[in-house]
Amino acid sequence: MVRSIAHKEFLGTLRDRRFAALSLLLLALLLAATLVGRRGYATLQAERTLAQRQVNEQFHHQPGRHPHRVAHYGTFAFRPRAALSFLDGGLDAFTGAVVYLEAHQQNSVNFSPAQQAGSLIRFGELSVAFVLQTLVPLLLIFLCFGAFTEEREAGTLRLLLSQGTTLRQVAWGKIVGYGWAAALVVVPALGLAGGLLLSGEAAAGGTDRWSRLALFGLGYAVYFFVVIVGAVVVSARASQSRAALVTLLGCWMLGCLILPKATTNLGAGLFPAVTKAQLDAAVHEEAQHGINGHDPQDQRAAALKAALFKQYGVTDEKDLPVSVAGVTMAEGEAYSSRVYQQHFAALTRTYERQNALSTWASLLNPYQAIRLLSMGLAGTDFAHYVHFQQAAEAYRYRLVQHLNGLQARMGYGDKERRLDAATWRAIPVFGYQAPPLGWALGYLALPALALLAWALGLSWLGLRLVDKSATG
Amino acid sequence: MRLFRLLFYYEYLHFKASRGLLLLTGLLLAAGLYGIYYGTAEVARQRRHLAELPALGRHQVAELQVKFPGPAEAGEIGYYHHNYALHYPTAWASLALGQRDVNPYYLKLRLLGLQGQLYASENVNPVKALSGNFDLAFVLVYLFPLLIIALGFNLLSSEREQGILPLLLAQPVSATQLVLAKLAFRLAVVLGLGALLSAVGLAWARVPFDGRVGLWLALGGGYCLFWFGVVVLVAAGQRSSSFNAMALLGAWLTLVVLVPSLLSVYVAAARPVPQGLALTIQQREAIHGGWDQPKMETMRRFFTHYPQYRDTATIRERFAWRWYYAFQYLGDQSAAPLATAYANGQAQRHALAQRLAWLSPALSTQLGFNALAGTDLPAHLAFQQSATRYHDALRTFYYPFLFKKIPFTHADYARLPTHSFTSPSDTHAAWAGLGQLLLSTIAVYALGLALLRGRAVSIR
Repeated sequence: MVRSIAHKEFLGTLRDRRFAALSLLLLALLLAATLVGRRGYATLQAERTLAQRQVNEQFHHQPGRHPHRVAHYGTFAFRPRAALSFLDGGLDAFTGAVVYLEAHQQNSVNFSPAQQAGSLIRFGELSVAFVLQTLVPLLLIFLCFGAFTEEREAGTLRLLLSQGTTLRQVAWGKIVGYGWAAALVVVPALGLAGGLLLSGEAAAGGTDRWSRLALFGLGYAVYFFVVIVGAVVVSARASQSRAALVTLLGCWMLGCLILPKATTNLGAGLFPAVTKAQLDAAVHEEAQHGINGHDPQDQRAAALKAALFKQYGVTDEKDLPVSVAGVTMAEGEAYSSRVYQQHFAALTRTYERQNALSTWASLLNPYQAIRLLSMGLAGTDFAHYVHFQQAAEAYRYRLVQHLNGLQARMGYGDKERRLDAATWRAIPVFGYQAPPLGWALGYLALPALALLAWALGLSWLGLRLVDKSATG
Repeated sequence: MRLFRLLFYYEYLHFKASRGLLLLTGLLLAAGLYGIYYGTAEVARQRRHLAELPALGRHQVAELQVKFPGPAEAGEIGYYHHNYALHYPTAWASLALGQRDVNPYYLKLRLLGLQGQLYASENVNPVKALSGNFDLAFVLVYLFPLLIIALGFNLLSSEREQGILPLLLAQPVSATQLVLAKLAFRLAVVLGLGALLSAVGLAWARVPFDGRVGLWLALGGGYCLFWFGVVVLVAAGQRSSSFNAMALLGAWLTLVVLVPSLLSVYVAAARPVPQGLALTIQQREAIHGGWDQPKMETMRRFFTHYPQYRDTATIRERFAWRWYYAFQYLGDQSAAPLATAYANGQAQRHALAQRLAWLSPALSTQLGFNALAGTDLPAHLAFQQSATRYHDALRTFYYPFLFKKIPFTHADYARLPTHSFTSPSDTHAAWAGLGQLLLSTIAVYALGLALLRGRAVSIR
């Protein structure tokens, strides 16, 4: 019975010209979004790869220089775009593209697309994720709002039930039928995405990408299921089609427009973050005067020098086999980096606290659950951004300490001398390895569980409500 | 006229009895008040941070005075000392935050090359930036049309569906009168709510009472009128309530969401901005190349820009600050064409978006609000220019110390130039937005009325 109802709904939907027009429109939008996203991805990725290669070559082709000069010359870390970012740009429009890595200080990640655009960009970007998260549910609402009310208004529900069918079977039949219709719109676009992924660069890290794409598809399937079941339940409980439609549209506005913005803004208001100037000043203060305020930098340097004298049994800097400046510099970098790491971690924690409200809201709002899940799987969420920042900082630290080590080994009077050009060619360049899926999933437990809870809760509680709804 | 008042009154009774609509209006009022609170709190936070920066600067000066107890070389001070370029918001920014949350509202500048410092970004929570600002402009541009749709999707269709339209029209009432009275009541509710929220917002943000208040109200009111025009247009089709709801929501989705996001893609493709990446790389290369070039050559190039320092003594030592700052300056000069192209590219991009904004009245209105508040890209570009002039002023201040070898004393800290910039309202752009909005409004009413005239009101 379920199957024949599903079949009838599916065929009915296909014959409905309004649905055909709307879904063709959506399909066109999805395909356009996939292609536009892919092009944008390719352009930015090419730009950043080229720039990274250029600075790497510049670094390797430096003339003979003093290592500390090289540490100030520094290098740049460009953030490569995640392979699936063309499906869901996530935070990419608002996160920077490049960070300058140099001695003594940690710079901000600059040149985010949003900073180079007017407020037009704040209206949102056309992306596959946007269509799937916001527009497809709207289509599903239009598809499902009359599921029960129309049957009731036409008097056909009674007829159906008189054949021995239960309300629950009718509901499942409709859910399955609408599900097929939805798949008809979404699957071609994801197929195209898969094809583009396949035709893209070599399948390096292939399985990771494919499993991300598979989970991406699965996540949206669950999301659409939640929307369809929710809409069918509302339709069963509503007195009229119009009431069902208005209720569902109200839920859509609340869930897709108002709640996400309100919860994030509220969270940000509750936990104010420090500014860059305050953070830099605090880091400087603690690096100068010691983390506890009783350990100033010049005292640390003097103690270090004394320790070196003692270690090598000398009384004059000239007799030391190492350069005091190099050793002091390394110690200072280690100390200030430690201070910076503490402050950066605190800032990240503040941001996580700000975002926690909207993360927990995913329990109330499936839209917010799928949004987090989608970004996380596409590699464009907050956790991935922090991962890049930390990788860039870790490289900066290693690079600067390597150069400090070179300087230390130059011995006394290093300032008068240079190291030859071959030295720089031996230093490995920055290469960013995006974290694997397993790592990303660790951050996605809550939204994934929220979405599953919605699916199970609606199939159980929601359908019990259907059982109790009016029959005719 | 009495009849009109009667109809208006019955609409009021109807509205009062509809729990859903009252709830929606109440929700919107609450959202508007929250938006005003959020916007003013955000701007107050920025102001507080801006006000704290001079204290950070003074603290650093005290530290430098300990580090350099006597007269110091100006080059050392210029290397370490942080100068802050401040971008203060206008009072209007509280109502339309625009891009003020993603663009830095201050810059920390040292005497070093400017291009390496001009594009630093502020700590921003990207999740929040993605969600956007819940300010009054958002409530007016995004949410008000939804209230208008909820109030108007069954403008005539509900009477028809309930079967009371024939009864109504059997009275000495024409369909036009009926529609006009219904519209007038709904217009009064929406415009009243908009005016109330704007008044609260303007007062809360302490906006100076001048012509811009009128411009703000005209933008908001014109935008609401436009949406009523869309409601009339859809009602003129005389379809079912469900159809109207879908059509109106489709219009909302198209004009508020789809057209702007498609435009965003188009504008980015039509005006590719020469990336800032190339610019920073070029500047670093030029500056660090300075270390490896003959000092005579660097100084010769520098003196073509600053001939007044030409008679300074030749540099024989391994390092001299005036040489160091000379090649910092030359590094900026070598990146200057790229920097100009970058800034111009961004400005052109924004100008194109503004020209095409007529495609979506939501966009015209939002850009108009942001222009009024001085919170869009042009304001940030103006701030960057102002910061560039400040950096010039700093160099002009330091150069005599460097080239004439004047020692930098403790008293000189107080003589350092300071900077403060308040973004002006771009009333010109706001007027342009209003013009676009009025044209769309007239167009949609003309179309709707033509449709209404074209056919008789069907009663079933």
